[in-house]
Amino acid sequence: MSAIRSKGALIPFQAASGGLMILIVAAMAFLACFALAGALGTTRIASTWTEGLAGAATVRIDANEDDRARRTSLVLDILRDTEGIADARALSERDVADLLTPWFGGTPDLGELPAPGIVAVTLDIENEPDPTVVQARLDGAGAGAVYDDHGRWRGKAARAARAIGNLSWWALGLTALAIAASVFLVISIAMVAHKGTIEALRLAGAEDRFVANLYQKRFFWLGALGGLIGSGFALAAFVGLDALSSVRSALPMIDAPYYWPIAWLAIILACALVAVLAARLAVLATLRRRG
Amino acid sequence: MIQFENVGFRYKRGPEVLQNVDLEIPAGSFQFITGESGAGKSSLLRLLYLDSMPTAGRISLFGRDVTTLTRDEIAWFRRRIGVVFQDFRLLDHLSAAENVALPLTVAGVREAAYRDNVTEMLQWVGLGDKMEVRPPELSGGEKQRVAIARAVVASPDIILADEPTGSVDPAMAERIMALFVEMNRLGKTVLFASHDLAMIEQYKLPITTLRGGTVASGKRASGRGAAA
Ligand SMILES: Nc1ncnc2c1ncn2[C@@H]1O[C@H](COP(=O)(O)OP(=O)(O)OP(=O)(O)O)[C@@H](O)[C@H]1O
Ligand SMILES: [Mg+2]
Repeated sequence: MSAIRSKGALIPFQAASGGLMILIVAAMAFLACFALAGALGTTRIASTWTEGLAGAATVRIDANEDDRARRTSLVLDILRDTEGIADARALSERDVADLLTPWFGGTPDLGELPAPGIVAVTLDIENEPDPTVVQARLDGAGAGAVYDDHGRWRGKAARAARAIGNLSWWALGLTALAIAASVFLVISIAMVAHKGTIEALRLAGAEDRFVANLYQKRFFWLGALGGLIGSGFALAAFVGLDALSSVRSALPMIDAPYYWPIAWLAIILACALVAVLAARLAVLATLRRRG
Repeated sequence: MIQFENVGFRYKRGPEVLQNVDLEIPAGSFQFITGESGAGKSSLLRLLYLDSMPTAGRISLFGRDVTTLTRDEIAWFRRRIGVVFQDFRLLDHLSAAENVALPLTVAGVREAAYRDNVTEMLQWVGLGDKMEVRPPELSGGEKQRVAIARAVVASPDIILADEPTGSVDPAMAERIMALFVEMNRLGKTVLFASHDLAMIEQYKLPITTLRGGTVASGKRASGRGAAA
């Protein structure tokens, strides 16, 4: 004989509200992807910047004085004699020209330009010298040189990156909250329409969790589907941004392809999970309230 | 098994629709509840399927004071109670067979395990050919028979039937009565509410009469399944 029931239809869910739910979750998942990229990206930027800049300093020697060569070797002597400095090396004019290229375009002829002399300093990371002490020693010798360990820039950049990172995590949390709130709302409304059905289930001996499971099952799939669609669009957007490759460095996730499947799956699962949890809470709360 | 002590009941702020009801229904007995329309038969059954709690007195069911039951316990108790509602309460979006299977479904029984049982029940009430039909396309009497099949399909300890023969022809009424008598013979406690005194007096079984919310008489008969 034929099957008695096609599982899952105990509650007559409205297709329209399901579509609406998917739309909401998809929109939230889309935003969540950007928040996640922001969170992961800025964390990486912050550490790249601070680590990349740490352990290095530069000394700039005024260009406009004719005894630059003498002062350069004076600076090198002082630096090599300073505790916490591993190495100091004067950049050749070629090196300086390379550094300046992005600002001047083409290859600048330094003969025409008062380019500063630059000494690249490698610091002992474990034991970085106090920049004010180094500066004082340079000043004391009359070197006419400025010591810069990028400290200020380092701190500011890291703080800014961290602030953006924190905001991104908050944004991610808010999208989850918005999904949960929407599920709560949709279920509260749906349960008014399903009142008779739920009563019949309860009278037939269904526990609250049985009723909750029916909603959870549906909202798991709605959440997962919404997550899949939203993050799919975000992925397409990322690939599009990647094609304008200038933003590559702004979205460091793109540099690490192994992230993609994991992050994608995590977003989809998170959407489904948030929807399921919110559904359970909403159903149990509504049933208890009805008594 | 079922014990009412001085039970009173009112709907929200309304008047008391049951007062001072004392009733003792031993396990395995068959009891008719009669009384004219509005006497409180359905309200009394409602207390037994735990849809409402008494507003006075005490009801003990399966040895428990009903007011002490948790929501889960209420659900589990209901699995031991089959109810034929006066207004059927079938789910319109489910087929007749799915409606009959509902008590088994919510108890977590797999379809493979109850399929034959459900089919047999529907055939017994003469609806073997209407298994896939939904309630809106069934006649009143057919709906009532689906409700009866649902009430007994899970083999509950207590069967509460509220006017279960109200919408069927006399031949089917007799068949349905035979079903309840058979269930009682199998050890089930049956409470059968009806205002059709002519019909219930044919059976030599105990009759409790309600009048204006109080027990007017608890006639005892000597027939099979009578209260001990
Ligand atoms: N849901 C309700 N809310 C408020 N009052 C109700 C409700 N249901 C029933 N009543 C009242 O309770 C009283 C008893 O009703 P009940 O349904 O128990 O009678 P009954 O004996 O089953 O009658 P009938 O033979 O017509 O089915 C009636 O006065 C009715 O108006
Ligand atoms: Mg009634």
